[in-house]
Amino acid sequence: MDERSEAGLVEDARRGGREAFTELVRRHERRVYGVALRLAGNPADADDLAQEVFMTAWRAIGSFRSGSTFYTWLYRIAVNTSLSFLKKKGRERNRASFDENLAVAVPGRAVASAPEGSSALNELKARIDEAIAALPAHFRASFALVVDQGLSHADAARVLGCSENTVSWRMHKARKLLQARIKPFLEEARP
Amino acid sequence: MRCQTARKRISDELDGALRPGRKPGVEAHLRTCRACRAYREDLERIQTETKLPEAPAGTWAALERDLDARLSGEVAGRKRVEVPFAARRRWAWAGAAALVLAGISLWYALPRPEPVLTEAWLLYEDILDPIMNAAEASPELAGRLDQEVRASIEEMSPAQDPEVLLLPAADPLFWEGLSDDELRALVSALEKESGLGGPQ
Repeated sequence: MDERSEAGLVEDARRGGREAFTELVRRHERRVYGVALRLAGNPADADDLAQEVFMTAWRAIGSFRSGSTFYTWLYRIAVNTSLSFLKKKGRERNRASFDENLAVAVPGRAVASAPEGSSALNELKARIDEAIAALPAHFRASFALVVDQGLSHADAARVLGCSENTVSWRMHKARKLLQARIKPFLEEARP
Repeated sequence: MRCQTARKRISDELDGALRPGRKPGVEAHLRTCRACRAYREDLERIQTETKLPEAPAGTWAALERDLDARLSGEVAGRKRVEVPFAARRRWAWAGAAALVLAGISLWYALPRPEPVLTEAWLLYEDILDPIMNAAEASPELAGRLDQEVRASIEEMSPAQDPEVLLLPAADPLFWEGLSDDELRALVSALEKESGLGGPQ
């Protein structure tokens, strides 16, 4: 089964082949889980979301056009499902709006609140994750696809249904926001 | 290169999306701008430290098992997959359409000046042109037309002092009959008389 081409598996799955679909799940579960984890923010929700993504894919596989790439189509479902989930839970609404002009946290206080024994590097990683989680949803989706999943701007644009230029601007703005938020911790954790 | 442009290109470079021709410009900017050099270092550090945690052990097996159980009750379908942020996009288009409609309504609602006489002339051009051409060929017709035009102008003009009406300048066609040289001479004479033309 591992040797089979993706196009063949997709074709079989479109005809209702469960085995082929299960193989597609095995090939793409890490990617889907990664996007869900970045957008949902915790492993338990990412687990549920990954399942939902594959259920949606199964219910929609008949509408998949063989000319396009299966993983970009799957990513699209993953982003949609995660965003709907966030919307339902009202997390986006309650999330404090991220504003680079707002005063950033005082590094000394933040470090003091960190668990004992954690290194400055771990602290930095945690702060980066927090800052990414606080990005607006459309920036976070671009970030998840380009940085976490390593997609090109062109592929991310195909997933998100926008232009490459839009992805490029979103990445620039997301990084600008992150850098503004993380700067004090970067200085703290500088080797 | 402005710092804003350089920073956008630094972001593109990190994603492997910077066009090769743009790289030398960015490097040249970075050689002279310490703030942008520090910005790039910060972004590289963020990029390096951004890593999703590994899924807990047993995640994949559990996912495949649970999914298999759920899939057994379902058949493959043809549900439509929308692009992300489709609702937001629809609202954006609706907003843009509303703005365009408001703009068009405002354009039609704005007060406008009354149409000028030239528009009336253009309206009757087809009728007047043959008459003007015929008048050029026949002095008698030209005379009649001249009388008619004078009469219509006098009809439209407010009543004037009878003494003024005797002056040649009261003739509505007097000014139109003057050449450019005659008009210039007239203006200069008037300026001289009123002292507005300055010392000669």
